[in-house]
Amino acid sequence: MNQTEAFPGSIANVNLRQVGKNKPRNDAPTKVHGKAIYAGDFYMEDMLFAKVLHSDRASANIRNVDISAARALRGVHSVLTAADLTACNAVMTDLPGQTGGGTKDTTQPILAADRVRFHGEPIALIAAESYELAQQALDLIVVDYEDTEGVYDPFDSQKPGAAIVYSDDNIVADYKIRKGDIEKGFDEADYVLQNTFTSQYQEQAFMEPEAAVAWVDEHEILNIRSSTQVVEHFRAVANALGIPHNRVHLQAPYIGGGFGGKEVMTIEVWLALLAMDTKRPVKLIQTRENSFLSHGPRHPFTITHKTGVTKDGKVTAMKIKLTSDAGAYAKLSPYILLYATVGATGPYRVDNLWVDATSAATNNLPACAFRGFGTMQANTACEAQMEEIAKLIGMDSLELRRKNFIQPGDPNTTGQIIRSSVWCDQCATQALAALGEQPSNSEHLVYGHGIACYQQSYGRIRWMKDTSESWVGLEMDGTAIVRCAVTDIGAGQMSALAQITGEILGVPMDEITVYFGDGHVNPLAGTSTASRALYMSGKATELAARAVRDNLLQCMARHFEVSPDELDLADSTVFVLDNPERRMSIKDMVKLCAAEGVHRHNLSIFKAPPSEGLDPETGQGEVFPDFTYGAHAAQVSVDIDTGEVTVIKSVGAHDVGQAINLRAVEGQIEGSALMGQGFALSEELILEKGVLKNGSFSEYLIPTSEDVPEIQSIVLESRSGLGPFGSKGIGEPVFAPVAASIANAVADAIGTRIHDLPLTPEKVLRAINENKASR
Amino acid sequence: MLPPFDLSQPQSLADALQALAGKGDTRPLAGATNLVPDLRGKRETCRDFVSLDGVNELRYIKRDGDRVTLGARTTMADILDDSGIRTDAPALYAAAEIFAGRMVRTAATIGGNVCCGSPSADTVPALLTVDAEVTLSSVSGQRTVALDEFYIDYKKSVLRSDELLTSVSWNVPPQNSANLFYKLARRKGDAITVTGVAVMIAAEDGVCTRARIALGSVAPTVFRASAAEDLLAGKALDEAIIEQAARAAADQCAPIDDIRASADYRLQTAFSLTRRLLTQAWKQVS
Repeated sequence: MNQTEAFPGSIANVNLRQVGKNKPRNDAPTKVHGKAIYAGDFYMEDMLFAKVLHSDRASANIRNVDISAARALRGVHSVLTAADLTACNAVMTDLPGQTGGGTKDTTQPILAADRVRFHGEPIALIAAESYELAQQALDLIVVDYEDTEGVYDPFDSQKPGAAIVYSDDNIVADYKIRKGDIEKGFDEADYVLQNTFTSQYQEQAFMEPEAAVAWVDEHEILNIRSSTQVVEHFRAVANALGIPHNRVHLQAPYIGGGFGGKEVMTIEVWLALLAMDTKRPVKLIQTRENSFLSHGPRHPFTITHKTGVTKDGKVTAMKIKLTSDAGAYAKLSPYILLYATVGATGPYRVDNLWVDATSAATNNLPACAFRGFGTMQANTACEAQMEEIAKLIGMDSLELRRKNFIQPGDPNTTGQIIRSSVWCDQCATQALAALGEQPSNSEHLVYGHGIACYQQSYGRIRWMKDTSESWVGLEMDGTAIVRCAVTDIGAGQMSALAQITGEILGVPMDEITVYFGDGHVNPLAGTSTASRALYMSGKATELAARAVRDNLLQCMARHFEVSPDELDLADSTVFVLDNPERRMSIKDMVKLCAAEGVHRHNLSIFKAPPSEGLDPETGQGEVFPDFTYGAHAAQVSVDIDTGEVTVIKSVGAHDVGQAINLRAVEGQIEGSALMGQGFALSEELILEKGVLKNGSFSEYLIPTSEDVPEIQSIVLESRSGLGPFGSKGIGEPVFAPVAASIANAVADAIGTRIHDLPLTPEKVLRAINENKASR
Repeated sequence: MLPPFDLSQPQSLADALQALAGKGDTRPLAGATNLVPDLRGKRETCRDFVSLDGVNELRYIKRDGDRVTLGARTTMADILDDSGIRTDAPALYAAAEIFAGRMVRTAATIGGNVCCGSPSADTVPALLTVDAEVTLSSVSGQRTVALDEFYIDYKKSVLRSDELLTSVSWNVPPQNSANLFYKLARRKGDAITVTGVAVMIAAEDGVCTRARIALGSVAPTVFRASAAEDLLAGKALDEAIIEQAARAAADQCAPIDDIRASADYRLQTAFSLTRRLLTQAWKQVS
């Protein structure tokens, strides 16, 4: 079957002139020259500087907050505590966006009133003439805490008598899947294997910490210029402040990375309160230490897999239990758990399936969105389990995977039929081949190869009924404008829209201006989250550009006396396809069409396919628009005396549907190779009774430039995706298999499995020694 | 954020020593690559610093016969850029090579690394294996102290508050010698050492004539494993004796558990890395 036929709208055999080419991104020059303006770069007259008092303990009652000395300090203009937030002290932390969702309780106090539930919970806000003064004021605040018994483990928190952090039972969310006949499935198995895998907190570690400036302008509009993935937060800010939605103007300039950490509101509402209180612009750039406490890190998961498999390698049943530590507030934990539930079986078809998933509250840091969004944790466990099954039954692990890959037309975990291409096999085969020969072991070093495949959704949960809008217009001189409030979080979101528009209107990328990130002068595009920005805003832009093209070509068809489909646009000209000598510059075309009153611009809306949710008893239903598939392979060495792991080669191979900008795709693959390496080997937030012990870059260990292996990107294009030109989302997908491939490579090298990430030298050495002892 | 602090910026060594002599709790500041994180992390209480940034006379690498002297403000990058350190102190060169990350190496100084007193200071084990000495200067004069006698306890040394460490010197190792360093850490760049080991083995006629073993991050201070050294001196080394020496070195360790590693892991790796480096060194010289 020609897999591109799966989606009727997909484009096969189209000759693309700009899309997929290695065009320099149009945000590159300003960034390379250091001219790009980020949220923290703005200065305004009379601007004040903010500081936030974060709780230094995880579970305590607040008996009193004495701010008298802080308020009395000269140069301090505002000190706010919960006592000042009389009208409303709650901010929505649910999935943001146009249509909302809503789970049981996803509000969070803006400032802690009588109780702190996690280390870092904000207690007071300060605005002063300088950061130094604000810090001095902060140091003068006396919080009278009464420590209370907390709960720091998601299993403990579900036990009777546990301290209650959330709701009345600490259960933030639960899901189940009941599919096929689980007993029969295990009966059919020749082998049954059970393993439990755990993973840790991971910090987004974006280069730009939370930063924003807020001010009330001459029209009494509250303006916030913030480093956010979501300009639609203006609604949550307005709701929290009790002012109309149309009085809050939230803009996002260029953003220095988000990875999900700037998905839920961070500092915006704090600055809004201070700006309203002082009537002056207020700025805050979080220090790195406070940034660690100002957004939610990746959820730690405990995942138990019980798998039935025949001796031929066919998986007959999977029983999976997922538990995530939500931390002290719900934030996006329910959705992240849902992603993990859907992704529990990786890219495999499992007809007899039983999944129980729970997210429980604790007094740990509230975890939240982070690239991979639960799917990655679930996939990492599943791919470790597949490797262990292969070992158990004595089969090559890729061969085992081949026997179980889901295929187009198959139902997935929730019974959704897979429509787009599944090129896991091609990707895994090419990635493994790219690793080359495994070096022979030396005196101290053993080598290993690892592979992992994945299935990761792109686009939002379908019952969110996601939409995106974009405006495209041609100017009288033949240049083009795109207006789309997509936030550019560094992945080339803005540039991609220029490339798409340029392809359709025949205008070079550098003659296209994209206005982005400002949702009050541009149509709202929705969030830059869920690997949806290119899919959704790209699609809306494609629709708008095609509408402009159609308008103009209809007019030009009359002029050239041909039908519109006999015309094309390229290189700033309109021409007759089978007689290119008959041509006109786009500039002249626009003039001509304008004189005839033809619309030269268009505002389009793109609607993702909706669905109505899951059956709560069986977990069956349609959750996501579509999925991306691929593989990552890694070659590692392990020092058997110390347990140190070195990643030598890291290869990502992904079916991206259609690359819009190949270099941008490679950038995502390379970045994910390192982020996944950090998760596999060294990154871990260490909490003692809820208190973060390594909240700085000297102790929280992301890979440095000296840890970078040889990275190779293999980009395959099935053109079977739902995005523009058949593209699929890639931001999260390319990250999903990386850590699993490294963990599998380490297991291959040392001959035994470590079930608990990250694979620190100490854990690796212990595993080597235990393995030696057991022989 | 950084707390407010006082900073004087003398332009000569004499002025720097004067600034240090004046007050009680005043500390010199060179590359500040440790100091800034410590200030931000509220681990450093001093708020009065004397910057050595303008004291260029402390930035040099000098050779006088077999004697090599580094001015205290010599940076890790200076050590790597010098054509001779690789042979004059191979372990020091190796330590500088994997010292923190590239940015830190251009700022961090040898004097700062020695004076910070951290058991994880990477140049110290290397310097101990070449019997380095440090010169301590003050307005009232100067004295030379063996680095081996410099540290008293965790982050404590014989350096007085009015003194400045002005140079580090040592004699070039003998002809037939091997001088190695291994840094075990949780990542390759910008990492704090979990276990650091440096060894020096010199041999003549198949006999070990000098053995030096120094270990970092496994006790309150970097230290020389003297019992292990004594086991090796004057002997032809083999697997058994190397194993015995490595065991003796590990026995002298007093590591702690912290967020980077357990004491037990540090002990195990102190043993295995000492054994590994001794084996490699002996192979090179025999």
